[in-house]
Amino acid sequence: MKLLKKHFCFLVVISIVLLFIGCVEEFIPRAGEFNDILVVEATVTNEMKHHKIYLNRTYSFEDEIALAETNAQVMILEDSNNQHMFEESEPGVYTSINAFNVVPGANYQLKITMKDGSSFSSDKMTLPQGSAIDSLYTERIVNDFGEEGMGIYVDNTNAQEGSKNFRYEYIETYKVIAPDWNSVALVNVPQPVCPMVIKAGREREERVCYTSKSSNGIILTSTDNFDENRVQRFLVRFIDRSNYILSHRYSILVKQYAQSNAAHSFYEALKEFSSSESLFSETQPGFLEGNLHSDSDRNKQVLGYFDVSTVSEKRIYFDYEDYFPGEELPPYADPCQRAAPKVAAGHSSEPRCILPVLVEMDLIRYVTDNSSYTGPQSEGGPFITVPRVCGDCTVLGSTEIPTFWEE
Amino acid sequence: MKKLFTIIVLLVSTQYAIAQEEIPKISVSFTNVDVSRALEMIENKTDYKFYYLDEWLENVKVTGDFQDTQVSLILDDLFKNTVLNFYISDDQKIFLLQNNQIYDSLPDDFFGEQEDQLSDEEIGYEQLKDLGPLFVNSNDGANRGLEVVKIGRENRNNRRRTFTLSGKIVNAKGQPIPDLALIIKGKDIGTSTNASGNYTVELPVGENIIETRGLGIQDSRTKVILYNDGVFNFQLDESVEVLDEVVVQANRDRNVEAALTGVTLIEVEKIKNIPLVLGERDILKAAVTLPGITTAGEGAAGFNVRGGRTDQNLILLDNGVIYNPSHFFGIFSAINPFSTGSAEIYKGNIPAEYGGRLSSVFDITTKDGNTEKFAGEASIGPVTSNIVLEAPIVKDKSALLVGGRATYSDWILRSLDDEQLNNSTASFFDVVAKYNHTINENNEIKATGYFSRDAFSITSDSIFDYSNRLVSLKWDHKFSEKTTGSLILSNSEYKFGIEFDGESNDDFDLGYKNNETEVKIKMKYLHSDKHKFDYGISSKLYVVDPGDIVPLGAQSDVSSLTIPQERGLESAVFISDSYKVNDKLLIDMGLRFSFYAALGASSQRIYQDNAPLNSGTFVETQEFDKNEVIETYGGPEVRLSARYFIKPDLSVKASLNNAYQYIHTLSNNTTVSPTDTWKLSDLNIEPQEAYQASLGLYKNFEGNKYELSVEGYYKQQKNLLDYKVGAQLLLNEAIETEVLQGDGKAYGVEFLLKKSEGKLNGWLGYTYSRSFVKLDSEFNEERVNNGDFFPSNFDKPHDISVVANYKFTRRFSASANFVYQTGRPVTFPIGSFSFNNSEFVFYSDRNKFRIPDYYRLDLSFNMEGNHKIKKFAHSFWSFSIYNVLGRNNPYSVFFVTQDGDIKAFQSSIFSIPVPTITYNFKF
Repeated sequence: MKLLKKHFCFLVVISIVLLFIGCVEEFIPRAGEFNDILVVEATVTNEMKHHKIYLNRTYSFEDEIALAETNAQVMILEDSNNQHMFEESEPGVYTSINAFNVVPGANYQLKITMKDGSSFSSDKMTLPQGSAIDSLYTERIVNDFGEEGMGIYVDNTNAQEGSKNFRYEYIETYKVIAPDWNSVALVNVPQPVCPMVIKAGREREERVCYTSKSSNGIILTSTDNFDENRVQRFLVRFIDRSNYILSHRYSILVKQYAQSNAAHSFYEALKEFSSSESLFSETQPGFLEGNLHSDSDRNKQVLGYFDVSTVSEKRIYFDYEDYFPGEELPPYADPCQRAAPKVAAGHSSEPRCILPVLVEMDLIRYVTDNSSYTGPQSEGGPFITVPRVCGDCTVLGSTEIPTFWEE
Repeated sequence: MKKLFTIIVLLVSTQYAIAQEEIPKISVSFTNVDVSRALEMIENKTDYKFYYLDEWLENVKVTGDFQDTQVSLILDDLFKNTVLNFYISDDQKIFLLQNNQIYDSLPDDFFGEQEDQLSDEEIGYEQLKDLGPLFVNSNDGANRGLEVVKIGRENRNNRRRTFTLSGKIVNAKGQPIPDLALIIKGKDIGTSTNASGNYTVELPVGENIIETRGLGIQDSRTKVILYNDGVFNFQLDESVEVLDEVVVQANRDRNVEAALTGVTLIEVEKIKNIPLVLGERDILKAAVTLPGITTAGEGAAGFNVRGGRTDQNLILLDNGVIYNPSHFFGIFSAINPFSTGSAEIYKGNIPAEYGGRLSSVFDITTKDGNTEKFAGEASIGPVTSNIVLEAPIVKDKSALLVGGRATYSDWILRSLDDEQLNNSTASFFDVVAKYNHTINENNEIKATGYFSRDAFSITSDSIFDYSNRLVSLKWDHKFSEKTTGSLILSNSEYKFGIEFDGESNDDFDLGYKNNETEVKIKMKYLHSDKHKFDYGISSKLYVVDPGDIVPLGAQSDVSSLTIPQERGLESAVFISDSYKVNDKLLIDMGLRFSFYAALGASSQRIYQDNAPLNSGTFVETQEFDKNEVIETYGGPEVRLSARYFIKPDLSVKASLNNAYQYIHTLSNNTTVSPTDTWKLSDLNIEPQEAYQASLGLYKNFEGNKYELSVEGYYKQQKNLLDYKVGAQLLLNEAIETEVLQGDGKAYGVEFLLKKSEGKLNGWLGYTYSRSFVKLDSEFNEERVNNGDFFPSNFDKPHDISVVANYKFTRRFSASANFVYQTGRPVTFPIGSFSFNNSEFVFYSDRNKFRIPDYYRLDLSFNMEGNHKIKKFAHSFWSFSIYNVLGRNNPYSVFFVTQDGDIKAFQSSIFSIPVPTITYNFKF
C-alpha cells in the first residue's frame, strides 16, 4: 500500500510539473528567408547638443553585427521651415552639424535619403511635456523572486496633462579592485629552448579600475492608470548581491525620457516581442510598424522609430559597506583558481613550454612563490599564479578615474 | 414463391357487397355493460349469431342507446374504441376480428399483381398500387418466434399507405431511453428516441420488424403489424454491462438519412475507452478526433471548426452558453463527462433555431437523473476526482443529478520542495446540478445549474482566475399529438480577474465580466408525413463589463478605472420545414432573421470618414442614454439543406447557409488565453458574417457496419476581428483603434470511415482544409501582409486521426489513438537588428512559416470489473499512455532578448510519454 502511494504521488508530481514547466528548450534558428531592411534609431530631446541618429541594416542570424547604412542624407525639418542637417561622423552614425534642442509646440519630421536615391520620412512629431526625476534612490531589498540585492528606484511627479509614459536608460559605473593584485610581475627572458620566467617590478597600474556599462533592455513605465501622474518606487535596476559590480563603489546615471503615447506603444510592443512569455499563450508577433515610411513604395519596409522626447537625468553613488556593513563581499568576477604551472612538459629535445607561453600570452598573474617547488622534477612550477583578471582589473575596466566620479 | 401465406380473407363469392337494407334495425340500450352481454342482447333481438374469442372482450364495457338503428351501425359504435372489426355473413353470422378487416372481395387487380407482390421478400408498400387486404407472412424463418404486436384497427375505407407509430421506450427502471435507434428491418426507415424516450415513425401499413439498438440496452426485435396510427410503448432491459464500442456513433442510419450536412453526435458512454491524458474522459477532446474540428495545439483552449475562429462556436450546456469550456488552458474540458449525456455538434448546416455564432454549435445535454433509485458514478485520477450522484425526488416523476469535479493540484504543489512551485497555485473545479420533473404526460420541466472556476498563478506576484456560471430552465409542453413546444430561459456569466501584488506602487485587481440572458420559445408542428415544422422566437440580452481595475492595498497608486458597460440585444425569429418531397428527396428549409441592437448608455467615439481609426482621427464622442439604440445590424440567415437517396444506403447531401455574429473575442494571442475578453458590436465594430456551402456523399456498407462519408465545404467570412501588431486590448477604452476587420475564406474536404461493430472498431478521419485571412486597407497601419490573404493561425492542411478499439473479451479491451497534423503557421523572426543598445529580432509577414508537423500516439488498456449482477459497484480501470512515442511536438516558438542577445526557444506541453491510471466506479 505504501508503495502504491509512492507511485501515485510520483505520477501526480510529474503530471503537475509537466503542466507547469512543460518543456522549453533553446534552439538555434535556421537561417531562412532574410529581408535586408533599413533600421532607424533616432531620439532627439530638449537637451541642447549635437544629436545623433543611427542608421543600420538588419542582419541575418549568422552575421554577428549590424552593417552601417552609409552615405545617406539625413535631416530633421522643424515646422517645415527650419532644417537641422546631419553629417556622417562614423559609419552609420549621423551627427547634427549644429547643436540644437527640440522645443514644445513645434513639429519635427525626420527625412532620410539613401545613397540609392530612395527616401523615407517620419510622421510629424511634437515634444511631449515631461518633468525631471524627483528622486533616484537605492534600497537593499528582496525581490519578487526571493533574490536579495540592491534595488534602484525612481520617483517623479508630473503635471496631470503631461506625458504619462516614461522610458529609462541608465549607465552604471563601478569600481573594480583586483583581489590578487601583486606588485610583482612575471617576464620572459629568452633562452634556447624555453624562455626563462623571472620576477620583475610591475610598471602599470592594474589594481583599481572603473567600468561603465549602458543598459541594454527596454525599461518602460506608464502612469496611465494611476490617479496621479506620479511614478513611485519604480524599479529601474535590480542588482543581485552576489554580483561583483556591487563590491566597492557603485554609481548609476538614470535618464528618463518622457514619451508620446505612440512612441510608448512602439517600445512596448518591441519589448513584448523580445521578452519571455507564458508557456500557454503567445503574443501574435508581426512586422512592427514604427512612424517611418517609404516615400515612394508603400510595401517597402523600414524599422525603427523617430522619437522626440523630454529627457531628465540623475546620478547616485553608494558603497557596498553602506548597505552590507561587515558582510562578505560578493564573489569576484572570476573564481580565481590558483595554480602552479610547470615551466615545461616532456623530455624530448623539444619540450612543450607552458609557463613562458602563459606569460607571453598575458594570461596569468603572479601571487607568490611555490614553496614546494624543488626543481624541474617537481609536480608544479616555481610560482603560484591566478588568471589574469584576478590580478589585473583592466580586463574589466579602465584605470582612468571617470571625470564625474566622486569618492 | 415457396412461402405459405395465411390469408385472412374470406373468399365469399356469393354477393359482392352487403346491402344496407338487408340488415335489420333494432332498438336497444346498454349502460356500462360488458360487450359480451351487449352482444347477447343483440343476438336475442335478431337472428344473428356472434363468433369471437372471449379474451378479446374482457374488461370492455359499453354504453349506448340506439333507437331503430341498423345492427351494423350499433356494432360500429360499440367497437369504435377497440381494435375489433366485424364481418356479417349471409347466413346471419357475425364474426368479430381483432385488428383485421375482412374483405369479401379482392382488389380489382389482385390476380394480376399477385406475382409481383408475393415474389418480394417483404410485402413492400411501394408495390401496392391500391390498398387491398393485408397479408401477413407467418412463416418467415428468421423472424419466427418474434413477439408480434398488432397496432391499430384496420379500417375498411383506409386509403393511406403509411401510418404513424409512436411511443415511449423505457428501461427496466422506467427511465426513458434517449437516442435509441429504431430501425425497420429491410426498409430504409429509421428513427431515434428523443431525450424523453419518445419516438415517432412513419411506417408502411402491414408487417414491420422493428429493431432497436443502443449502447447499454439489449437489442430487441419486434414484429409489429400496423393497421392504423397507433402507440407502441415498450420496455427494454439494459444489457448486463456496457463494454461496447468506442465512439461517436450517430444513429445507425443517420449517416445517410439525415438532411443536414456536417452533424456529429458524441455519446459520452462511447468515448470512455479512448486513451486520455491525465485520466480525464473528455467529450470535447473526443470531438477533436473528428474531421473538421481542431485546436491550435496541445494546451490551446478553444476549437477551430472548419477554418473558423475560436470565438465562432456556440457551446451550449442544456441551452445555456458556456464561454470558456476549458480548465487549465484547455488541457481539461470544463464539462463533467459523467453528468453529460451527449453532445451534438453542428459544423455544416446549423439548424435555424441556433444563431449568433458563425462556425458551429456544440449542443451538450446533461443526462436526466434516475427517477427510480439512487445511483452514482465516480472516478479517481492522478490530477482530478469526479463524482456524480443521481437521486429520485418523487419516484418515477422527478430526480436530481448533482456532479462535481475538482483537482488536488494545489495540495500537491504545496507539498513540493521546490520553492517556486509550492508558492504557485493551480486549482479548478466545476459543479453541475440538473433537476428533471415530469409533471404529466404533457408537461415536463428541466432545470440546470452549472459553475466552474479556475485559479492559477504563473508568476509569484499575480493570480489569475476565471469562472463560468449558468442556469437554464426548460419547460416542454405537448399541445396536441402534432404540436409540441418548449420555453427556454437561460442566463450565463463568464468572468475573469487578475490580482497583481508586486513590489512597486502598481498593485491592482482587474476584472472582466459578461452576462447574457435569453428567452426562447420553440415549437414543433408535425403537419403531415411530408412537412414537419420547427419555428420560434428568441431574444438575448448581453451585458458586458469590459474591464475595471482597482488599486490593491493602500500603497498602490493605481487609480480605479472602469471601462463603461456595453449592452446589446440580439433577437431572432426562425422557421424551418423538413419537407419530404418523395421517398428519396428530403429538403430542410430553414430561415432565421436575426436582429441586433447595440444599446446605451454609452459613449461612442466618432472618427473622421475615410481615415484610419486612431487617436489622431478622433472627432468627437457621442453620448447615448440608457436603452437608446446606438446602431442596429441584422439580416436573414438561410439554412438550407437537402438529402437525396441515390440508393437506399447511398445518399448525397448539400447545404447552403449564412450567419451573423455580434459578439467577438479580443485576443492578441495566437491561441486562446484566459484573459481574452468579449466585445459587442457597436458603432465602430461591425458584426462578423459567414457564408458556407457544402456537399457530401454518404454510404453505409454491410448493413450499416461501416459508414463512409466524404464532405466538402467552401466558406467565406466578412468582418473578422483581428488586431494590429502589438495591440493593447485590456482596459482600452478606444478598442476600435487597435483592431482590424477583414475577410476570411476557408475550404476543405473531410473524409470519415467508421466501423461501429465487431471486436475491432473505431474510425479513420482525414481532412484537407485551408483557412485564410485578409486584412487590407488603404492605410498602412490597418494592413497586414500587404493586404493579401495569408494563412490563419490554425491553418493545418493535413489532419489524420485514427481511433481504434479492440475487445479481447468482454472485460478487457485496448485502444489506440493516432493523430497527425501539419504544423500550424507561425510568424518567425527573419533577422536581427540593433536598437537601443540591444539586439532585437524582426518578424516576417504574419504566419509565413510553420512549426514542425505534429504527431502523437496514445494507447490505453481498459479493464472492466466483473459482471456479477449483485454487487455494490461496477468498476472500470483504465491505464493509458499519452504520447507513447515521446514526440516533442513544438507548441510555440519564441525569441527572447536576454542581456542584449537573442535566444530562440521552443516550447512543448507533453514532450515525454505521460502514463495515467484512472479508477472509475458506478453504483
